[in-house]
Amino acid sequence: MSATTLQSPATRPGTSPLVTALFRAVRGLAILLAVLAAVEGLVIVLNVKPWYVPRPTLVLNAILATPEPYVQGFLRTLTETLMGFTSGAIFGVGIAIVFFRARVLRELIFPVFVVSQTIPVIAFGALVVLWFGNTLIAKAAISFYLTFFPVTVNALLGLESVDPRQEALMRSFGASRFQILTRLQLPAALPQIFVALRLASALSLVGAIVGEWFGDTVGLGVLLLQGMYNENVVAIWAAIAMCALLGTGFYAVVAAAERALVFWGAEQ
Amino acid sequence: MSAPQSSRALQRGALGMVLLVLAWEGVARGFNLPAYTLPSVSAILGSIFDHRTTLFLAGAYTFAEAFSGYVIGAVIGIALAVVITLIPMTRNAIVPVATSINSVPVVAWSPLILLWFGIGMPSKVVMVALAVSFTVFLSALAGLDRVDRRSVDLMRSFGAGRLAILFRLRLPTALPLIAAGLRVSTVRAVIVAIVTEMLGAYDGLGWVIYQAVLQVDFVKVWSAIFIASAASLAFFGLVGLAERRLVFWK
Repeated sequence: MSATTLQSPATRPGTSPLVTALFRAVRGLAILLAVLAAVEGLVIVLNVKPWYVPRPTLVLNAILATPEPYVQGFLRTLTETLMGFTSGAIFGVGIAIVFFRARVLRELIFPVFVVSQTIPVIAFGALVVLWFGNTLIAKAAISFYLTFFPVTVNALLGLESVDPRQEALMRSFGASRFQILTRLQLPAALPQIFVALRLASALSLVGAIVGEWFGDTVGLGVLLLQGMYNENVVAIWAAIAMCALLGTGFYAVVAAAERALVFWGAEQ
Repeated sequence: MSAPQSSRALQRGALGMVLLVLAWEGVARGFNLPAYTLPSVSAILGSIFDHRTTLFLAGAYTFAEAFSGYVIGAVIGIALAVVITLIPMTRNAIVPVATSINSVPVVAWSPLILLWFGIGMPSKVVMVALAVSFTVFLSALAGLDRVDRRSVDLMRSFGAGRLAILFRLRLPTALPLIAAGLRVSTVRAVIVAIVTEMLGAYDGLGWVIYQAVLQVDFVKVWSAIFIASAASLAFFGLVGLAERRLVFWK
């Protein structure tokens, strides 16, 4: 997170980055357990109705009693999220490079992108499911649609922040435009791109969940809806917990990739 | 950006939209696409005209939900950030709670909120407030924290109290960031209202879309999408206008 922890593996050869990551994970888990225990105690002491907040152990029991739908749902939603996230990230960076090179295209198309982001996803979802059928692709498409825009905006911002003198220097050494792009401009844009990717990790999950609301049978979004139709608050909380697990886990992976790739330290 | 350059960008943007509409119309008519694949823009506009009363009322209903939730969420977000700045001790309690609520994708809360608050308007207002408050809270906190330490010290050395520092220094400094957070939240507010409506509602654009999907009336789905998009853009534009008035020095 901070510059000092980033540099610690380099300055102190004794601690590997794996150990630091492990330490962080353990500490996070300990805090989570403490919070859950506190909630458990509060619910019992204040006598909160399970209709509002059920005891965490009750939710855990519900998951452990029938683990299959939760595990399957988790994996399905994870697949959709990853597909949407990856395609959105690649498309977002690609289109940013195109916009960066061709100002006319950017001025023509960018406003269309902006307007496209005001379309309520879920309405769009009904159409996408109709176009692609009730497939993984349909969910990934919704997830893609939510992901690509922030990546485009930030990648463009990053590409434009490159010092023109550095570009001139590389050109004077005979670097081709492609070399300038891959050696200078993209690495320089990386911190900005990762800011968007962290945001996109959460958005792609939203897209996958919403996509599942159109008559799917497996997935965390399906579990949420089933819980609602059965008025089973414990089941809803169980699904919410799985969503939180998937969301934070994915975010942590993206953040870890950021620390590894942008080793020179991103401006937070 | 200089004035002539920005007006050129505006023209190009308008041109891009016109080209998109023309291409859309051409593809839909040229290939004679069925309405469930892609209806032509003219058919959608015709349908908007035919259903103008329904769509307008539904739009107004959704906007009322989105706007009240937006105001409540914005007040909560800014208030929490101000409380943290005034009483630094509360930071360690508020920030983790807010972050853990936000670690769940906002749409995942909607089934629970619908069960708690019913099918009517309150559940949508709560959902919008939930979605908006966190965004505004984060940007307000970032803005309030951004204040130069030396400026605070200077004001304190002149005997200014915490409240005076808050109103004279911190809030004005934070205003650009708060306004940006408020502007981003507008589109989010309308979308969250519609998403929640589609899971259960008595009225509103999301409900209209859901009914139209059930009736396989895809021209109507598109017309509701157009209205929703227009409402979001208008909301965004209004808040952006207010921002330029309020943050005039930027």
